[in-house]
Amino acid sequence: MNSGKTAVVAAIALFLFYTGLILSLLTFFEGQRFLDVLLAPDTLFSIRLSVITATLAMILAVGIGLPAAYSLSRFQFPGKKLVDTLLELPLIMSPVALGAALLVFFNTPFGNVIQERGILFIFEFPGIVLAQFATIAGLATRLMKTALDEISPRYEAVARSLGASAWEAFRKVTLPLSLRGILSAMILCWAKAVGEFGATVTLAGTMAFKTETMPVAIFMSLASADIPKTIILILILAGIGLAALYAVRLVEKRPQVL
Amino acid sequence: MIEVRGLHLSLGDFRIENLNFTLKEGAFNVLLGPTGAGKTLILESIAGLRRVPKGRILVDEEEVQHLPPEKRGVAYVPQDLALFPHLTVERNLAFGLRTPSKNFVKDDPHLARLVETLKIDHLLQRYPQGLSGGEKQRVALGRALAPSPRLLLLDEPLAALDPALKNEIQQLLISLHRSLGFTALHVTHDLDEAYLLGERINVLIRGKLEQSGGKEEVFLHPRTIGAARFLGMRNLFRARVLRRDKARESIAVGAWGKEVILPLEHCARPPSMGEEVFLYLRPEEVMILRPGKPVKESLRQNVFAGKVERILDRGTHRWVLFRPSGLEVQVEINLPNYVFRNLGLQEGQEIQVAMRRESFWVIPAKRCSPLIARPANIP
Repeated sequence: MNSGKTAVVAAIALFLFYTGLILSLLTFFEGQRFLDVLLAPDTLFSIRLSVITATLAMILAVGIGLPAAYSLSRFQFPGKKLVDTLLELPLIMSPVALGAALLVFFNTPFGNVIQERGILFIFEFPGIVLAQFATIAGLATRLMKTALDEISPRYEAVARSLGASAWEAFRKVTLPLSLRGILSAMILCWAKAVGEFGATVTLAGTMAFKTETMPVAIFMSLASADIPKTIILILILAGIGLAALYAVRLVEKRPQVL
Repeated sequence: MIEVRGLHLSLGDFRIENLNFTLKEGAFNVLLGPTGAGKTLILESIAGLRRVPKGRILVDEEEVQHLPPEKRGVAYVPQDLALFPHLTVERNLAFGLRTPSKNFVKDDPHLARLVETLKIDHLLQRYPQGLSGGEKQRVALGRALAPSPRLLLLDEPLAALDPALKNEIQQLLISLHRSLGFTALHVTHDLDEAYLLGERINVLIRGKLEQSGGKEEVFLHPRTIGAARFLGMRNLFRARVLRRDKARESIAVGAWGKEVILPLEHCARPPSMGEEVFLYLRPEEVMILRPGKPVKESLRQNVFAGKVERILDRGTHRWVLFRPSGLEVQVEINLPNYVFRNLGLQEGQEIQVAMRRESFWVIPAKRCSPLIARPANIP
């Protein structure tokens, strides 16, 4: 078998693996309960909570990650490689470990001050946002840096020679040219935040109608051995994820001229 | 007037130290040099895209080396042109204008003239992706000139073009410059392009400015051996100054074991006695003597007999490689095709050539020699 055929067989095998996983869910799928579970107050709460926290986490990650990505893409500075490496840490670190690290941080004297005089994070709504932010910030920065790397710095150089300030050159040239990549990064990070479980459950716990995001709801229904409800929740979460991935494809398909 | 004074720049291991040059106002200036000479580094420093650690850049007597690019009034056209792909040609042109009106092309006489000269009126609503290479060049020039910059920097914008398009854009640059009279600094490694476009040429080699001057001055009278070699001069021979005839304003140099007499004004600088120099022999100025024909008195001083070793057809002219008898040197002679046909030269043929005094140019061998030294031992 030549290498081309081997690659195609590998792709088909991977496709069958994931299709098999999804189809196996149908073994315990109770179609007549689907609408009941979807419209149940706890499901609607967890969907709403997941969407809101993921959106906030994504906005924070992009707000801080975009300038960081720009500086990593455009400038040379001492410690750049170290910063670059640290940004990848959340990508390979277990989310539970990340959540545990956050939990430990809020038990340090500095963390206590934040908790007592600022915002409560442990077992609270801000804790979910923070856990999701911690998980996606590195990814967001990495993806946006890749998008910015694809835009030649020459555009900005020319823009500045034509009288644009550094901010104007970024806003009028680099940002529109890298917008597709940045939008893709935003959608992917949002989808990852929606599905975040490990860090959230460690920092914010599993409190119904309080910190019950979609993945937490799946965990809780599985723990109470309600398999059909678990499957329906998984399908809803998978649906949200697929919609996000489809949105990424749509963004990437947009013509070059914005 | 644009002046660069005591400029120090570095990029990795590459260094430019104490660079000085002046660009003539309203002229098409060329920065000519081989790849790796530091041309782009200098251009980017003038544009404000690189930090200048030491030295001054003056634009109209204003020091600009500390100013950000947008405050310098220096427009920049890179090799890849960098037309903004998300903007129409019209919006590209308007980019450098502070408050463009809705019909800014028609409202602004300067822009109307620019668009007309560049012949891009029909392209205004198109995006750069759909334009041909020549159209992109025109738009990039228009965009750079729209805000009437104090200096236009062109970083080898013609380097990647095919010969026909290159010729078209060169003609366009000439007519555009004649029409608008802007000050330009054009970077290139192309000798033909530099000669065609440049009113003043600055030759840069390995970060050092070898020579600045008018194009005839630079191309016909290189002041350093580095400049001469870069300019493609091959008839360069090691020689030594033997004596100087003050009355006749001439010098005698020893080359190939012979004595060559030439006018003092044909030296890059007055040489000192015994100084090592390079003797450049202009290949188009060497005369092949017809057998039996009397030789003029003025030509008799430097006549050499020898053999035609090779003849190469260079299309526009013939390239004859001549070896003087008993000498281990080869002299290149360029002959127009009609002269070559009239002479009926063959490879291996014995001939006599006359090297006119005017065909010589003497270049100092050492760069560090004093420029206008007249040692007392010269008679």
